[in-house]
Amino acid sequence: MKKNVLLIVSVLLIFAMMLTACGGSGTPKASGDTIKIGWIGSLTGDQAVWGTCESNTVKMLIEEVNAKGGLLGKQVEGIYYDTKGDAAEAVNAVKRLITQDDVVAIIGPNASGQAISISAVLEQYKVPDIATVATNPKVTVGDDGKVKPYNFRVCFIDPYQGAVAAGYACDKLGLKNAAILYDVASDYSQGFTEFFEKTFIEKGGKIVAKEGFKEGDVDFRPQLSKIKDAKPDLILMPYYYKEVALSANQARDLGINATLIGGDGWPSEQLMEMAAKSIEGSYVVNHLDFNDPEVKPLQEAYRAKYNLPMELNGYMAHDAFKLLEAAIIDASSADPEKITESLTKVTVEGVTGTIKLSEEDHNPVGKQAAIVKIENADYIFQEKYGLQ
Amino acid sequence: MSELFLQQIINGLSIGSVYALMAVGYSLVYSIMNFSNFAHGGVIMIGAYIGYFSLTFLKVPFFIAFVLSAFGSGILAVVMEKIVYRPLRKRNAPFLYFIISAMGASIFLENVVIASPIGPTFRSYPTVFSSEPIMLGSVALGRIDLLMFVISAISLMVLVYIIEKTKIGLSIRATSYSIKGSTLMGVNVDKVIFIIFVLGGLLAGLAGMLFGMRYTVYPQIGNITTKSFIAAVFGGLGSLPGAVIGSVLLGLIETMVSGYLSSQYRDLIAFALLILVLVVKPTGLMGKTTEDKA
Repeated sequence: MKKNVLLIVSVLLIFAMMLTACGGSGTPKASGDTIKIGWIGSLTGDQAVWGTCESNTVKMLIEEVNAKGGLLGKQVEGIYYDTKGDAAEAVNAVKRLITQDDVVAIIGPNASGQAISISAVLEQYKVPDIATVATNPKVTVGDDGKVKPYNFRVCFIDPYQGAVAAGYACDKLGLKNAAILYDVASDYSQGFTEFFEKTFIEKGGKIVAKEGFKEGDVDFRPQLSKIKDAKPDLILMPYYYKEVALSANQARDLGINATLIGGDGWPSEQLMEMAAKSIEGSYVVNHLDFNDPEVKPLQEAYRAKYNLPMELNGYMAHDAFKLLEAAIIDASSADPEKITESLTKVTVEGVTGTIKLSEEDHNPVGKQAAIVKIENADYIFQEKYGLQ
Repeated sequence: MSELFLQQIINGLSIGSVYALMAVGYSLVYSIMNFSNFAHGGVIMIGAYIGYFSLTFLKVPFFIAFVLSAFGSGILAVVMEKIVYRPLRKRNAPFLYFIISAMGASIFLENVVIASPIGPTFRSYPTVFSSEPIMLGSVALGRIDLLMFVISAISLMVLVYIIEKTKIGLSIRATSYSIKGSTLMGVNVDKVIFIIFVLGGLLAGLAGMLFGMRYTVYPQIGNITTKSFIAAVFGGLGSLPGAVIGSVLLGLIETMVSGYLSSQYRDLIAFALLILVLVVKPTGLMGKTTEDKA
């Protein structure tokens, strides 16, 4: 009941705002005095920390833009809706943003499940959406392999980490003999492995062993013994921290000294607690590193304004907003269709790397990842690294 | 090549010895009560948590943690028997009911842990031993593996001694042949069942703690015991030597398949072999009776 009242009040308020903003011009879309941008994400529930950080970042950026005179001579207005981490709520929020609030584009959500579910609505009303940290390949490409015309994202997809790991290992670390241990039952692990293999072989490396396991396994020694016999320089471990901790410890127990490489499933307190010694000297591929000097200015501005730590999502929301801003300027119009066209034309220097979206799959092309090395039980930022 | 083979034998024996400690618990209960006590996995899981909290919160020495974990699980097993199985036994319920209750108890224990402040996350035991393996040439022998092997061997020998040489053992053996017959001969069946659950529980505690040390502690540990149950069936349910042999064989087969064929075929081949053994010899490798047991 309370929720309904809130909703009615907020809808009324929005109407009132629209009326005053439009000054009775009658056609609010793109011809008012403001450009409206929608944001959706979790403001309540498990992922509220991330959603709050995203919406705060977007608010901060809109204030900055408006202070400088806005976009195309108009002020920018942000409208923020909570999806409660639920796909159905996300669909409702998008409908409301488009049909009632007349937004020209939407930023968010951060979760793949919600980002996938809103495609149909976006296509119906022809309004673009830029997802923040939705890494599942299906967010921008449908089951039929065709790109979804109105879904975009600024993060790289899961499997791309595999290509980055392979390139970095081969070119920067000079490791040429790789062994892979992967989770045969996980899309994430399989995609990661597939991209790693392809890039690693292209770069002149050799896959000397490839062994699988299933989620829930706790003993990897049979596979690792076989890997040891193949004498690799590096072992790729593209899975989550629990299995990483167990398999890294068991690898060291068996006397394997190869360098270990992993992805964004690694970083966690528990990994350090369980396997700090075994993963010493390992490399991790991640979206971004908090200690990268290039991300510091945004981090500090955010902390100064909200007195909260910046999450990964905030950086992604920042880049999504910058991309949208560039697209609106490029289109020199606030028409959703024209913005959609411009989204794949512009190139933006984001805090998480250079962002240029591909026309084929609406993913960022050759986006840089942060390479982190584990030294003295700490994550030490090495450099940004991307593949073209 | 031969070093890899030797390493895989060690891996297999180490995995097999964990299965063995768990499988014996299944076989003990089965030999008397003729049903598969799936709640055993839950008891093992609780044992692992008792060991974990003894070491981290109570900060007791390692040996004391073992004792606490074994006794805690022993008490839990007896309590489960009193609450879950005794009422069924008094009513002469069919064996199927026992199995269903056991599964229920297992799910109950798992969810109690998940819902409690302990939560669903996995936890790692503090390092008790140096993880530096003992190197024999290039073949690595883990210290925990060695400990596991020794503890498994000692506790199984003690168990065999109890069953073969003591008076309680005699009544256990008698009851396993015929509950009715031994009751007529003056054996207190309730007491025998009590002892069986105590022994099974003690072993579950040891197994849980060893498992937790080697791997981690999490509410779904019980799922791993499915493998040890299979091992018990493989060796012949109700036979203690069968449980041990079945476990070691399953451990070795798994490692050899992973090591020489592909890890994807591990479960496929292990379970195909199980079915083959059961087709040829329905009572398992060491099973003696052919009567219909659930």
